[in-house]
Amino acid sequence: MQLTRRQLIAAGGLAAAAAALPAAASPAVRVRIRKFAFDPDTVSIKAGERIEWVNEDFAPHTATEDDYSWDTGELGKGSTASVLFETPGTHSYYCAYHPHMKARIVVTA
Amino acid sequence: MTFRLLSAAVLAGAMVLPAHAAEPMNDLEIAHTAYTAGQLDIRYAHLALAVSENADVRSFAETMIRDHSAVNSAAVDLITELNVTPQDNDLSRALVQGAADKRAELMGLSGSAFDCAYAQNELGYHQVVNKTVEESFIPAVTVAPLKELLTDALATFKVHEGHAEQMVSNLQCS
Repeated sequence: MQLTRRQLIAAGGLAAAAAALPAAASPAVRVRIRKFAFDPDTVSIKAGERIEWVNEDFAPHTATEDDYSWDTGELGKGSTASVLFETPGTHSYYCAYHPHMKARIVVTA
Repeated sequence: MTFRLLSAAVLAGAMVLPAHAAEPMNDLEIAHTAYTAGQLDIRYAHLALAVSENADVRSFAETMIRDHSAVNSAAVDLITELNVTPQDNDLSRALVQGAADKRAELMGLSGSAFDCAYAQNELGYHQVVNKTVEESFIPAVTVAPLKELLTDALATFKVHEGHAEQMVSNLQCS
């Protein structure tokens, strides 16, 4: 699954710090979702890099910013979605379906 | 052992064990029972969505529908791939009957009484199903893909058990 900017806007707004772009935009750092956890639970990237999530659980999951500024939408088993982080900052996010699943992204200049 | 473990606690005396309760279940019977248990929890969840006005209870119910549907969809994919037919059995039938009785009981409730009864049933249901899957079904299954599916499903069900425990605590049921 590759989110478009339009889909992201429709999902709840587009933050200045993060946007979904085509996969070719930049290399992605992959975060696995397995056994109801984000792995790794903290990722450090540089501005302009993407995070790609892949769900390995049967249960659907999301990666959703705490303030809802970005959201991957529902990821079924084997599905992926990526988000581009354009500006430095720290993003805390969780699974909207299983809120105990929490993780963090640190974006540096 | 499998039959006794699951039925005794889940159904809380609502049924009588058949004479062959201790007979081991085969892979197709285990697959049928595991699928049935998921479907029954989905039905409990739909009832909760129809009755409860509590946001946490409704959120839990939505999660049960989403997660159990995903697991059961994977189960259907597997049995289709293996070209086999799960076998109905006494344990599946007992679960269906026990759940029907429990739903009838829940439908007579409303408000916090319903929320507490639903939450406590979810906790008890997941506790016993998880114990049965972990200690009886997974060790007994002989087909590797089914064992793998049950193992992955158990990870999901254990999260549900923890979530249900938290829900019961938050509702402050007496």
